[in-house]
Amino acid sequence: MIGYRSVEYKEFPLSIIVIATILSFIGLVVLNSISQGEYAGFINSPFNKQFVFLIPAVCISLIILLIPRYTIHKYSYPLYVIGIVMVLLPFSGSAHAGTYRWFNVPGIGFAVQPSEFSKVFTVLFLARYLSDHTLQMKQFTSIIIPIALVMVPTMIVMNQPDLGTAIVMMTPVLPMLYWSGAKPFYLFLIIAPVFSMLTAFQTLSFTIWAIILGGVILFSRPTLLMSILLFFGNIFLGLLSPYAWNSLTTYQQNRITTFLNPEKDPLGAAYQIIQSKTAIGSGGLFGKGWGEGTQTHLKFLPVQESDFILSVIGEEMGFSMIVIVLTLVAYFIIQIIKRSFLSKDRFSSLALIGIASILLAHVFVNTAMTVGLIPVKGLPFPFISAGGSFLMTSYLMVGLVLKLSVNYTD
Amino acid sequence: MLKADNIVSIRQYYLAVFITILLITVLAVRFFQLQVLDYDQYSKKANSNRIRKVTTSAPRGLILDRNGQILVDNLPTYILNAVPGELTNKAQTLRLISKLVNYDSLALSKSYGRYYRGRFIPTRIAKDLTFDQISRLEENRLNLEGVYYQIFPERYFPSVVNASHILGYVREVDKGIRQSLDNPTHYELGDIIGWSGLEKKYENYLKGKHGIQFYQVDAYGREAGYVSDFPPRDPEPGRNIITTIDIDIQYSLENIMEGKKGVILIGSPETGEILGAVSKPDFRPDLFTGRILADDWNDLLLDPSKPLVNRFNQGLYPPGSIVKMITGAVLLDHQDFDPHLTQDCAGAYQFGDRVFGCWLDQGHGKVDLTSAIIQSCDVYFYKTIHYYDLDKLSKYFRKFGFGALTDVDIEGESKGIVPTTDYMNKRYGRFGWSTGALLNFSIGQGEILVTPMQVLNYTNILASRGINYKPHFVISEILSKNKDPLLPSEDWDRITFDMKQVVMHPKGTGKSANPLVNGAHVYGKTGTAENPHGEDHAWFIGWMDYLENKYSIVVLLENAGSGGAIAAPIARQVFNDIINLNSLVAK
Repeated sequence: MIGYRSVEYKEFPLSIIVIATILSFIGLVVLNSISQGEYAGFINSPFNKQFVFLIPAVCISLIILLIPRYTIHKYSYPLYVIGIVMVLLPFSGSAHAGTYRWFNVPGIGFAVQPSEFSKVFTVLFLARYLSDHTLQMKQFTSIIIPIALVMVPTMIVMNQPDLGTAIVMMTPVLPMLYWSGAKPFYLFLIIAPVFSMLTAFQTLSFTIWAIILGGVILFSRPTLLMSILLFFGNIFLGLLSPYAWNSLTTYQQNRITTFLNPEKDPLGAAYQIIQSKTAIGSGGLFGKGWGEGTQTHLKFLPVQESDFILSVIGEEMGFSMIVIVLTLVAYFIIQIIKRSFLSKDRFSSLALIGIASILLAHVFVNTAMTVGLIPVKGLPFPFISAGGSFLMTSYLMVGLVLKLSVNYTD
Repeated sequence: MLKADNIVSIRQYYLAVFITILLITVLAVRFFQLQVLDYDQYSKKANSNRIRKVTTSAPRGLILDRNGQILVDNLPTYILNAVPGELTNKAQTLRLISKLVNYDSLALSKSYGRYYRGRFIPTRIAKDLTFDQISRLEENRLNLEGVYYQIFPERYFPSVVNASHILGYVREVDKGIRQSLDNPTHYELGDIIGWSGLEKKYENYLKGKHGIQFYQVDAYGREAGYVSDFPPRDPEPGRNIITTIDIDIQYSLENIMEGKKGVILIGSPETGEILGAVSKPDFRPDLFTGRILADDWNDLLLDPSKPLVNRFNQGLYPPGSIVKMITGAVLLDHQDFDPHLTQDCAGAYQFGDRVFGCWLDQGHGKVDLTSAIIQSCDVYFYKTIHYYDLDKLSKYFRKFGFGALTDVDIEGESKGIVPTTDYMNKRYGRFGWSTGALLNFSIGQGEILVTPMQVLNYTNILASRGINYKPHFVISEILSKNKDPLLPSEDWDRITFDMKQVVMHPKGTGKSANPLVNGAHVYGKTGTAENPHGEDHAWFIGWMDYLENKYSIVVLLENAGSGGAIAAPIARQVFNDIINLNSLVAK
């Protein structure tokens, strides 16, 4: 039944609203457990803060609903420029804990993280760009330009430095290119060097990668010269990367090394992973109960209100609630992908798949980090983690999804 | 614009959905592994992961007098905390404690409710326990699971003086106070915080930094040593402050004022340092330490003589004749004014349809400026002040620091009132007042209101001929300069001469302030301030030169009578005490 795209799709995506509401509610319940008497001052309590920020967040999605679709389309280029200016703004102020991620909005008295908003603007821009430049996607060169354009804000964010957000900003590029008809082999070519570098630190992983690389090249049958260049180019890059390693900042190095060997540095980033795993593991099937998590309340669990909020859910509500949360999130993202597929115009379709990939990137990176599958990255979980900027961005995305997934004839 | 059709194929759609499901499934499987398969392992780990964070209070800094004698000290007492999550039977535990230490169990549970912040945070249930009481608790250790004691430094006042309005008092941080703070994270519930006086003003110096210790706790809740991963942080005591107060002078002032109502301030005019300050009635500062009883607090609050009011900082009084040196300076500013020209005082002066009386009914006869100051003749000033308007007089009052904060380092200062034309128009309407107000103003009556601290500041300016520093209570390397009224040198000479005559001249109103000791030179001015609340306020201001030192003085007695008869003898008593103290030191 999904195959009949010609059918006018008018149904309003109610499930998007319902799931966003449920997830926000779960977030508030968890934050309320964390906030129990721990914070002095109304606005210092994560629960109160999140509750207050929900108001502008919901307003943003309502405003988006009022804006005609062609207006969003029309202003997606200017928004891209605004997005770049926004991520540059923090550099004009002073550093927060050595980083330039936060910008103090004059007159409001709190700081926002412009990169959160900027990644949505980048998706809109890319959707517009790819829907305007149709059908040349079979060529490799036409892939390069959009990637280069997305790299501009990404590099700025990388220099803030905010590796996690930079990764999330780049993530939508691949699915969106794929959506607009780029050859999967070309997309593979783009990510291959990244994998070559990442795997080069371990002989086993590098060997496996080399086999996969060779297999894909064999399977796609490019010319002999091309195959040789590709294969050995990548291997060479992998062998070079240990040198590139030395050019990373110690903070980035630390995060990667502690991931590779968590026992090495029990009080640093690895300590966070160990504590997070302990909290989650000790929660068991049904958890210790609301407000009863010892790891959470004895403060073993770090950044529990944002980065490690899933660990709190794991500890206090157990595996059962984790399954519910993951199912809801998966359903939410799949709904967006479905709307993207059913959408009649390409701009909306591309924007929706871009949003879906941002959300999936957040969910995967955040959760994989809390369970120790990937290095510690400071990325929040959508709707649940405390954090005003990302909450507003999430609801901005909800607004866009609601707007773009309904095929009105506006 | 939106014409480009969607070209996504169902294969692409399925791949995207597949990747999503794959990634989420990987996560779910990982959770299953951690929470279901490895549950036992992590559950054990979490149980041994019971570390209790204990914060120890740092002692506040001491407050010392100028010679290093301790005014405010700390006394170690014991407090009792309970970790709510570890109490198996709260009511029973509290009952047992109340039996052992002989405290009301209702008070214990009240305290528990007040300090409760969460199941895992130590909650205070009792304080000010003695070593004896702690020993009895220790004997019953096994029945008191989840209850711990700690040493807690309490404020303690070892000196003979009260100095309550200078030192101020501290309060215990409760939930309400904590929420109102700018830096709530620096305070735990139950900490003490400076709430008035120097304790408040110098809070950031006096406050120490909490110590933090992480204890590994065994299954019985017993502390089993420090945790090596978290090295303990020792409490850092607050910094001491050295005040300008001289404990001996302060003691003498408090004795002299015992049973009276008013203020004495002793200062060093050149530096602005305050050697002694008393506002009576006052209170014992240790009333505020420990468990302040609601009754005591209410007694203080409801006492009609208002012992909690800091009279030298907050009290507003009409200054009366003590400001006549300012009026004199205003007159001298006019080129036609001749200070030697005499005016006739017949005891009263008719101005318009009003009669303005002099304090001496029979009148002073012929008086010039000097004798008007010496005898404090009012009519002389009524008759001469015509040259000026109200604002000219206000300007000079402001030059001497009236109508503005003195910036003394104790909060809650009043600004006082110096009437200007604008002020009078606003208060009485454009035509609601007349030049009569100017006549009143010239002798320190009418709308003008001052604080004793402003008067000390004014006295310092007079004594130092304008070169002086703002009054302060804590010794500081950097002194902040006061405004200099910049009078001509011959005006200062005249003021000094006249004020000396007030004390020396047989007709001088301040002659009973003279200690009649060789080498002590006293300068002064009396004031008798009429006020609508009853008997006149008695003022004496001035200074004494004695053995290279200058001591400025302000005496104010509320509703006590005339300055010459009441305040001046008290000033003499103070001067005598200072002279005796000096000779004691010399010996």
